[in-house]
This record gives sequence, structure tokens and C-alpha cells, in this order.
Amino acid sequence: MTANAVTRLLYVQGVPIWRNVVALRWAVQVVSAVVVLATIALFLLNVAREIEARDIPFGFSFLQRAAQIPIGEAVIPYQPSDSYLYGLVVAGLNTIRASVLGVILATAIGILIGVARLSPNWLLSRMALVYIEVFRNIPLIVQLLFWLTIVLTLPKVAEGYVIADTVFINNSGLYLPWFEAQDGFWPWALITAIGLALAVYAFRRLNRRETETGKQSYPLIAAAGIAIGLSLVALLILGPLVIDIPQVEGRFSRLQGGAQLSGSFAALLVGLVIYTSAFIAEIVRAGIQSVGKGQTEAARSVGLSGMLTLRHVTFPQALRVIIPPLISQFLNLTKNSSLAAAIGYPDLVSVANTMTQIAPAISLFMIVMVSYLSMSLVYSLIGNLYNRMIRFKAA
Amino acid sequence: MTARAAPAPLPPATTVGLVGWLRKNLFSSLGNSVVTVVVAVVLAWFVVNLGGWVFFEADWTVIISRVPLYIVGLYPYEGYWRLALCLLLISVLLGMSWRAWPNAARRFAFAFGAIMLFVGVFPHEMAPLHRALLLLNLPFIGLGYVLTPRPAEAGPGRLEAVAGDALAPVLERLAFLSTPRRMIVASLVALILIMILILGIAGVPGLDPVNPADLGGLMINLLLAFFGIVCSLPIGIGLALGRRSNLPILKVACVIFIEVIRGVPLITLLFMSRHILPLTFPEDLNIDRVYLAGITITIFSSAYMAENVRGGMAAVQAGQTEAAQALGLRGWQTTLLITLPQGLRNIIPAIVGQFISLFKDTSLVYFIGMLDLVEMGRVSVQGNQEFIDNGREVYLFIALVFWVFCFSMSFISRRIEGALGVGRR
Repeated sequence: MTANAVTRLLYVQGVPIWRNVVALRWAVQVVSAVVVLATIALFLLNVAREIEARDIPFGFSFLQRAAQIPIGEAVIPYQPSDSYLYGLVVAGLNTIRASVLGVILATAIGILIGVARLSPNWLLSRMALVYIEVFRNIPLIVQLLFWLTIVLTLPKVAEGYVIADTVFINNSGLYLPWFEAQDGFWPWALITAIGLALAVYAFRRLNRRETETGKQSYPLIAAAGIAIGLSLVALLILGPLVIDIPQVEGRFSRLQGGAQLSGSFAALLVGLVIYTSAFIAEIVRAGIQSVGKGQTEAARSVGLSGMLTLRHVTFPQALRVIIPPLISQFLNLTKNSSLAAAIGYPDLVSVANTMTQIAPAISLFMIVMVSYLSMSLVYSLIGNLYNRMIRFKAA
Repeated sequence: MTARAAPAPLPPATTVGLVGWLRKNLFSSLGNSVVTVVVAVVLAWFVVNLGGWVFFEADWTVIISRVPLYIVGLYPYEGYWRLALCLLLISVLLGMSWRAWPNAARRFAFAFGAIMLFVGVFPHEMAPLHRALLLLNLPFIGLGYVLTPRPAEAGPGRLEAVAGDALAPVLERLAFLSTPRRMIVASLVALILIMILILGIAGVPGLDPVNPADLGGLMINLLLAFFGIVCSLPIGIGLALGRRSNLPILKVACVIFIEVIRGVPLITLLFMSRHILPLTFPEDLNIDRVYLAGITITIFSSAYMAENVRGGMAAVQAGQTEAAQALGLRGWQTTLLITLPQGLRNIIPAIVGQFISLFKDTSLVYFIGMLDLVEMGRVSVQGNQEFIDNGREVYLFIALVFWVFCFSMSFISRRIEGALGVGRR
């Protein structure tokens, strides 16, 4: 009787359970899940137990305490009496500052070099090739140390280079004239933003008109006119910005005012931009070359001018190829900015490393890793959005 | 009498020869001519300044007085002959591969020989014996070449025509090396020998163990990159298969591992491994930071390798899988026998590329206190009052070393991509 029940359980429609496809599939799933989870759990438990046993500091309560460490430069005001958490935010902003500036400059220079690489001028094209091959084959850290050495061998403030009495270059960094915000800044910023939105709308509208009717509509010029015009008019009326020129002051010849790029920040930025732009140049070149020659010829034969061909035919197709690897280069640049630790720019890694002298190292670097992960998440979000945007739509 | 055809008129002198080339490529229009002149002036200014500095102003003592330090770090002087022996082994292997895969390996053998020749001849402070040992690599490459049977499908070559009879008996004895698979086994044996030679074995006279912390300089960059790539290949394949599998938990675990590793800088991983990895070993086992660095670099590299493998497998045509299914292969058989081998073949160039970037990344191991080439340079500059102003010389030298390696590898890999027919089948 019982044997019969067991048999009935083990056999489904005459097939034993160890040959039943569904049962086997389930078994494999369950076994694999158990193995994977057990391995991870074992690792984590082991580490947790050892942390306890070896008395290694761990935990996140330190974040509220005063950090007591100096941070050389900060985007927002910082004092050593501020908390660890705030110190990490300051450091993170330094990383973001270097990354954003780096991404903008590297893209600009990368596009220039990439286009130069395709120039019909042999000399220019060769020079672009040399630039690319030299800078992408040398580790970034070597380049950073080299640039830092160059910055440090610059003369002192009093004997430094001065360009047109406004730009100062010396061993404490680079000083540029910069804007100083006045009362009317926010209204002006609002008007400029509205102008930009209008410009984007006008560009799209005119561009579509041009594509659909074939009438020259000058969308780029119109958009630029709207944005710059509105902003300029508001600037003249509201007067929200004055230009602040750096000046040598006091007995110790210190430079005051303007925008200051410290020596290590300048070295970091130069290194990151040059290194990444070499990779971007290759991406741009490959992207432009990926557009078939027939496309250009077809565009010319239906009567589009060189400029129109570039804007409506070559460029949109090249962008599809260029943007995804470009975004991964942006991510690389952001991750590479962590090498700032080697040249003394207080970025996230550098500051966290200093903090480990007192605070629990493992917790600190967990925070650092999560910060970088969220930054790369932002980049892949942008990438995915772009991919969704450019997907070929059914006609 | 037939009318002789009039000779075709010669093309105008301005379209052929040097003048024609110049016109076409440098001075085809006014704008182009301006660009040429501007670039040429900038270039000339740069070359004159740099050349003047390199040959007349720079003080290269900091380099030429301590070349071994940059190449092998603090490796004991008495052990240099062991390293030289390793190089000779590599030379023989390269010569053999040159013979077996002429298209792919020839350029590597050339490049290796050229580097040995350069270091052996260049005027820096080095014992004559060590110079001689370096130069000995050139005949050893030839030795490896001569002693390898030519692949049967390639037919008799020039060497057989000249010295076939003399070599035949020797080659017959070495016939066991004639398949690529056995050659790979030979390479693995050589690799183990090299590791033994470098690290030494306790108790064997002449092979005194070397403190792993003394490994340094360019040697440690190359070793870490090489072992990182070799060890990360199987892990990367495993991760890629995991990511492609239909077991949800396994898949999610692989995806998280790959994306986390790829999303953070190597420097943070090195830092974490310095603090966490020792916890996974018994407390009294003091593992050296070289091994920590090796493990970290392998983990780091395997995430990227997994993505390479996945890409390579995705590029295998669907028809291959369908054909395998039609033949009645099971899922795992299809993957292991059809998709994976073809996928791996697709990613050979990507692996070389990854090796190059990993080689560059190994310069970050200074962060856990290792004296690699870059850190050696930094110590030379910042640790010596004598050389404190020679930073530019040191970093230019290090940049040049890295550049020579990375550029030649990427150049060779682009060449052999064609030879292997990747992407054409």
C-alpha cells in the first residue's frame, strides 16, 4: 500500500521523476541557487567573523564625528571640524568637478583630434595619429606624475608667467579671471534657461521643416541667436555678473580673486583630458568612417550641399556609432580621476585614504565604492536613454 | 607599314612624383597650405625644443646609473642570472612559436629580440656578463626556430632546403612537439620553470628563495599583467557562461559581480583587498602583498574578460547553434563544443587589447606599497636629494618604456588580426 503511494509519487505518467524534464529543471535551479547563495553567505560570514575576531574597526557611526582632517580645496566651504560625512561629500564634489570639466574638455579636444585624423592634409592627419598613439599607450599615472613635475618646476608667484595682466601661471596653480555673481544673478540665470529651452524648441522645429520641405531654414543659427540674444539682453539690463581679475596682494605675493586651479588640479585635469581625448579621437574617427561612402554620394547627388550633407546625413548616422563608446569613455574618465590620490588632489579616494588613519577603513571604502557605482549607474542610465531614443522607429 | 601609335603623353609634372604628392596631400588648397605651414612650424618648434632638452640639458644619470632598479626592482644581484635564464627560456619559446605560427608569432619574436639587443647594447651601467646574457637571447630565438618541426600543412620551407638533412635526426626526436596542443603544454612547463627560477626553492643550492616583496620594477608590471590575463581567462569564461545561463540566481550573481567590478576604479579594489583579503586566510598566514595584488588584478580583469567572452560568443552566428541542435547536441554540449570555442577565437584581438590596458593598470599597485616601475621612478626622484630635480627625465623614461611595450603590442595585434582571419570567417 505505502510502496504503491511512493511509486505513484515518483512516477508521473509512467516517467520516473529523475527523468522528468520539469522536475530536473527545477532541481538544477534549486541546487545552483543554493550553491551560489551558500558561497556568498559563507564568504560574508567568514569576513564578518574575522572582523569581529581580529578587532578590526567597522561600522558607520564615525560619519557624524568631526573629521579633523584638512582638505586642500573644496567647492563648498569646509572646515576640519565638519563631520566625516560632510568631508566625504566635499571630496565627492571634487571628484565630480574634475570629472565634469574633464568630460567636457576631453570631448572637445577628442572631436578636434578625431576630425584632424581624417583631414586630407597629410601632415595634420599624421600629427593627430602621433597624438593618439603616444598618449593612449602611456599609463595615466605616469602622465599625471609628469604633469605634476612640470607644474612644480614652474616659477614662484612673484616670478610666474602673466598673460595680459589677467592670467597667472606659477607653481601654485593657474589663476583665471572669472565672473562674480551680483544681485541679479538668479533672474538672469532663469531668463538664460528659458532662452535655451526656446532655442532647443526652435532648432527642432526648423530642422524638421528643413527635412520635410527641403527649404533652407538655418536652424542652428536661429537657435544660437535666440539663446545668446536673450541671455545678452538680460545681461545688459540686469548686470548680474562682474569679471573678477586675480591680483597679486600683500607682502607674500599671494594671488587673490578670479578662479583658481591648484597645481595638482591642473595636472590632474591636463592628464585626464589628454589621456581620454586620445581614446575619444579614435571613437570619433571610427564613427565618421563607419558611415558608408554611398550615403555621402547619394546626399550630394540629390543636391544637398556639403554642410547639409554633414548635418542631415553623415553626422546623425555617425552619432549612433559614437555615443555608446563615448559614454563608456566618460565613465572611464570618472573612474580614472581616482588617480588624483597619487598627485595630491583631494578627490574621493584621496580623502577617504587620509581618513583611514583614524576611521574604519573597510567602511570608508565601502562608501567610496558605492559612490563610484552610483556615478557609473548615472552614466549607464544616460546610455540606455540614448539607445532607446535612437532605436529605429517603424515607419 | 603600320602607323606607330603615338606615345601616350606624360602626365604633367605637377601630378606625379614628390611635387605631385606634396600638391595633393599638403598644398591642395589655400586653407590646406595654411594648415600645413602652421602645423610644420609648431612641429619644428616642438622638436627643436624637445631635442635640445633631451640631448643637452637633461641629466640622465638618474636613469643610466640605476637601470636594473627600474627593470627588476630590489631583486638580489646574485640572482640576476636566474632572470637571464628565464629570458633565454622565453626566447626559445618565441623562436618555436615563430616556426609553428609564422604569421602570428614572428613579430613578437622580432620585437623581443629587438628589445634584448637594445638593452644589451645601450650605454648604461651594466655588468658585461649580463650584457652578454641579454645578447645571447638572439641566437636562442634562432635555436628555438631551428629545433621546431615545420607544420606539415605548410610544406617544406627555405630552412629545409638548406639544412634539411642535417636537422632531420634532431627534428625526429623533437617530433613530439609538433602539435600546437603539445606546444602549449611545453609553454606551461616553461612557465612553471620560470616561476621557480624567479622565486626560488628553499634548500636547493643556487636557487635561494627570493622575498616576494623584492620583486619590482618593470618585471612586476609584466608578471602581474601576464598572470592577471592568464588566470582571468577561465574565471571570465565561467562568469560569461553564468551570465548567459538560465539559472536566475547564478545569473544575477554573475551580473552583479561583473557590473560592480567594472563600475569602480581599480584603486578602490586594491585598497579593499589589502584590508579584506587577508581576512579570508588564517590569521598567522602572512601573505605577501604581491599575491594580494595578483589576486585583485585577476578579479578585476576577469570581469572585463567576462564581457569580452560574452561579446565573442554573441558574435557566433545563430546558424551554428541551430546546426548543433539539429545534430542532437544537448545545450551544454552546444555551448562547450560549438559556441565557446568559436567565441574565444573571436576575442583574440580583444584579449591583446585587454592585456595592454591591464599592463598599464598594473602601475596602480603602488597603492598597496609595491615598487613597480612607476613607484621605483617616484622613489628615485623623491627619495634622493641628488635627483630631486630630475623628475622629468625619470617620468619620460618610464613613459617611453611603457609606450614601447604597449604600442608594439597593439601594432602587432592589429597585424596578426589579419593573419588569423578574425572576423572573416
